[in-house]
Amino acid sequence: MNAALASAAVVVRRTIAASAEDLFDAWLDPQALATWMRPGTIKSTVARVEPRVGGSYEITMQGEAGPITHRGVYQQIDRPKRLIFTWASPGTEQRDTLVTVDFVRVGERTEVIVTHEQLPESARPSHSNGWTSGLLHLDEACQQGLLR
Amino acid sequence: MGEYQSARLDGVFNALCDPTRRAILARLTDADARVTEIAGDFPISLNSISKHIRMLERAGLLRRSIVGRDHVLSLNAAPLAEAMAWIERYRRFWEGRLAALESYVTNKKRKRK
Repeated sequence: MNAALASAAVVVRRTIAASAEDLFDAWLDPQALATWMRPGTIKSTVARVEPRVGGSYEITMQGEAGPITHRGVYQQIDRPKRLIFTWASPGTEQRDTLVTVDFVRVGERTEVIVTHEQLPESARPSHSNGWTSGLLHLDEACQQGLLR
Repeated sequence: MGEYQSARLDGVFNALCDPTRRAILARLTDADARVTEIAGDFPISLNSISKHIRMLERAGLLRRSIVGRDHVLSLNAAPLAEAMAWIERYRRFWEGRLAALESYVTNKKRKRK
C-alpha cells in the first residue's frame, strides 16, 4: 500500500458506563453490529462476522443510494483489551485501512479508543474558510500524536 | 489520482505538525507578507525560517511571488481544507458509532437487570 497513507490517523475516544467485556463483545456480535453500526442515513445494517484472527467480516449498510459494504480481516483479538482489523469500504476507495480499538478500564467504566489509520484521501477540497479553528484543531491532533 | 492526493496530504500533515510553521500560516491569514517580515516575527535565524517556508511551499500551503527584490508570501488554503475535511469526516463517523455503541450496551444492560 502507498506509504504516504500510513502517515495520518483519526483517534476518537469515549468513556462508557459498561464493562470492557460487554463493549468488546459488541464489536464481534453480528446482531450488536447491526444495531450500532448504523449511521443516521442508513436504513438497516447486516453484519457477517468470523470472530477469529485471520477471519473476515462484512458490514453492509443499506443507504439511500444503495448498499455500502465494509469489509476486513481481524488482525488481533485480545478480549477485552484490544481489537485490530482491516477496513475497506467505498469511503476508503476499497483500499485496506487499519482500525485498532482499545478498551481501557476507568474505575467502573471503560474508555473505548478507536484509532483509524492508513486512510486514503477521498474528500474533495471543501473550500471552507475555517482557517484559525482548523489550525487549532490540527495542533491538538499533532500534540496527541494523531498525525504522523 | 488517489495516490497523488494522498502524497500531497502527507506533505500537508508533515508541514502542519510544527508550531513555527503553524504560526507562519496564522500570520499569513491576516495578510500577505515578505519573507523578511516573517523572519522578524520569530526569534530564530533567517536560515531556519527559510527552511520552514520551503516546507510549507512544498506542501502547497504557501505561494511565493517575487516583486522586485522582495519575496512575498501568501496563503493557499485549499490543501488544508482538504486535510481538514478528511479528518472531520472520519472523526464524525467514529464519534457517531461510539455514541451508538454506548446506547446499545447500556440499553442491553438495563434490560438484563
